[in-house]
Amino acid sequence: MITTAMDNPDTHSGVSNAKLGVWLFLCSEIMLFATLFTSYIVLRTGASSWPWGWDALNVPLGTLNTAILISSSVTIVMAYARAYDKDVKGFRLWMGLTLLLSFAFLVVKGFEYHGEFAKGIWPSTSLFYACYFTLTGLHGIHILGGIVVNSSLLYMSFKKEHWDNPLFLGRVEGAGLYWHFVDIVWIFLFPALYLL
Amino acid sequence: MPDKTAAAPHDAHRPNVRLFAAVFGALLCLTLLTVAVSRLRLERPEAITVGLLIALIKGGLVAAVFMHLWGENTLVHRVLYTVAFFAAFLMTLPILDGHYFVHLLTNPAPVAAQHPDEGH
Repeated sequence: MITTAMDNPDTHSGVSNAKLGVWLFLCSEIMLFATLFTSYIVLRTGASSWPWGWDALNVPLGTLNTAILISSSVTIVMAYARAYDKDVKGFRLWMGLTLLLSFAFLVVKGFEYHGEFAKGIWPSTSLFYACYFTLTGLHGIHILGGIVVNSSLLYMSFKKEHWDNPLFLGRVEGAGLYWHFVDIVWIFLFPALYLL
Repeated sequence: MPDKTAAAPHDAHRPNVRLFAAVFGALLCLTLLTVAVSRLRLERPEAITVGLLIALIKGGLVAAVFMHLWGENTLVHRVLYTVAFFAAFLMTLPILDGHYFVHLLTNPAPVAAQHPDEGH
């Protein structure tokens, strides 16, 4: 039987439609953060002064959050590995750990924000803090989005029908791709705001 | 029509747990390295170059290993390269403003203000 791209577009491209869709979504996210980074570069290079991250922000907490997010990247990829082997308990454990680390990231960020607000520091305080709150705030919203998706997958893992569905593994992989992207964004945000 | 595509692409991406652990260790070491280098208070251009280089290595490791980009489908690579090109072009646009670049080179005041104790 001859199959065409219309019959089975996935085999034509060599990548599933769902996965390609996730990658295209991530591409739009790359451009979103690229525009914000461009604004940051323009504002920073044009400013008459720019504080050193160590003087303006809590670097130890930022470093801790970096370690937390990197760890969560490992736990979610382990959750994918367990899902790949149909290890239900293992998947729940690693996905649960991912969610725990995600909340830990937000709690640490909350402490940071609280410390800054207590000192009377707001986005309107300076260009530096405007960039800091905008970039980390948008990143935090992405963390929240990831928590929603990962929680849904953890919930689905308690129902056998999802494990019988061949699409489930693809969903876990898609969620993992998104989570790793959020990690990569932080990998660039951390030195740009805290260290340089 | 049955979905023939759902399970097929995953075979090429069998998770390698040992590799994940190695990359995890490397990412933590590179994070500590970034923080340590920033304590040296290098001149801004050098600090930005080193910081960006380490961030690129870290991001590359996450993308290549955790996101399975190493050995990923050519179509995904092409799409990503296109977006990466335009993202990089966008971020270098401010530097392409020649007048502004000359202003930066001839006006060291911002750097002195950023690192008050530097060079004194």
